[in-house]
Amino acid sequence: MFLIGFLYLASQSVKKIIEINPYMLGTMAGGAADCQFWHRNLGIKCRLHELANKRRISVSGASKLLANMLYSYRGMGLSVGTMIAGWDETGPGLYYVDNEGGRLKGDRFSVGSGSPYAYGVLDSGYKFDMSVEEASELARRSIYHATFRDGASGGVASVYHVGPNGWTKLSGDDVGELHYHYYPVPPAIAEQVMEEAAAE
Amino acid sequence: MAMQIFEYNGSAVVAMVGKNCFAIASDRRLGVQLQTIATDFQRISKIHDRVFIGLSGLATDVQTLYQRLVFRHKLYQLREERDMKPETFASLVSAILYEKRFGPYLCQPVIAGLGEDDKPFICTMDSIGAKELAKDFVVSGTASESLYGACEAMYKPDMEAEELFETISQALLSSVDRDCLSGWGGHVYVVTPTEIKERILKGRMD
Repeated sequence: MFLIGFLYLASQSVKKIIEINPYMLGTMAGGAADCQFWHRNLGIKCRLHELANKRRISVSGASKLLANMLYSYRGMGLSVGTMIAGWDETGPGLYYVDNEGGRLKGDRFSVGSGSPYAYGVLDSGYKFDMSVEEASELARRSIYHATFRDGASGGVASVYHVGPNGWTKLSGDDVGELHYHYYPVPPAIAEQVMEEAAAE
Repeated sequence: MAMQIFEYNGSAVVAMVGKNCFAIASDRRLGVQLQTIATDFQRISKIHDRVFIGLSGLATDVQTLYQRLVFRHKLYQLREERDMKPETFASLVSAILYEKRFGPYLCQPVIAGLGEDDKPFICTMDSIGAKELAKDFVVSGTASESLYGACEAMYKPDMEAEELFETISQALLSSVDRDCLSGWGGHVYVVTPTEIKERILKGRMD
């Protein structure tokens, strides 16, 4: 999770998955302040909807609220590239919303400067009927590959699962360590000889 | 984002002086703006057993300038029948850079060597040859500001080779972790009058 002011790395531990409410998540890409503010604002609007209508808002409705808010600020320089993921009466929902007011429904998305690299891994490994473990490993790998190739991505790969009872955080792995987990450095010959000698 | 030409490829080079030894270290990333192309790019090169040069800046100029300098040193060796002293080599680099004053090589060299009586010598230059000698450490590259801070905090004079290696490695790794355009591993040379130790550092690959 990188936050960059020009090319300086401000933080490696920014929360880029924003918890709108216990059954809906939003992701942060683009401007950090914009994403944090507008997601919080969306959370407020969702709660007001619940109180006014005595039922939870749908993912479709929540993403539409956000898209319409962003559309009204079009051209003013907001920078928001986000995905709204949640569970409602119709099942799971995933929407992509950006600062131009664009809103797309889909099965899988990748957003941000590292997204082309993540798409490469995501698209080649994706199946609609994957298990939760397979999907979470695919997501982790996609993020890791994006952090390797893109200079503006890095830090921690967080994976969340959204189910009928809300979201849970599955893992948060430091990508520096993930690299050596996926691509371990073979020990030098001297080390191997020393290990064998010690074992005898 | 308006990308400056010195930040096109990304780099970090640092050299430090120890007790009768020196260390020179660089990152290993080669990128095209934000995209990483390679993680094994050679930025530090040996001119002869007692003089090393690390070049930061535009990667194509790093390679071309290195080739020109090796050529000039080989000519010197043929004529003088000996290796160049580090001070002399630094003056050579400065002159070659100033020749291109109005169309410069977009590199910032860091030169490190062992002079007479095994006294370590380090210096850095800007891209048109302004030499800056130092007694403790020199830095260059996109991560230079972080490197200055890290070196200032971690450096002490008269370190032995092993301690110098630890210090320069920690300074390099912590600085490149604050820079998007450099890192992806480290390459350290520690040179004493009797041996040259080359080591690769395992760093964050993001």
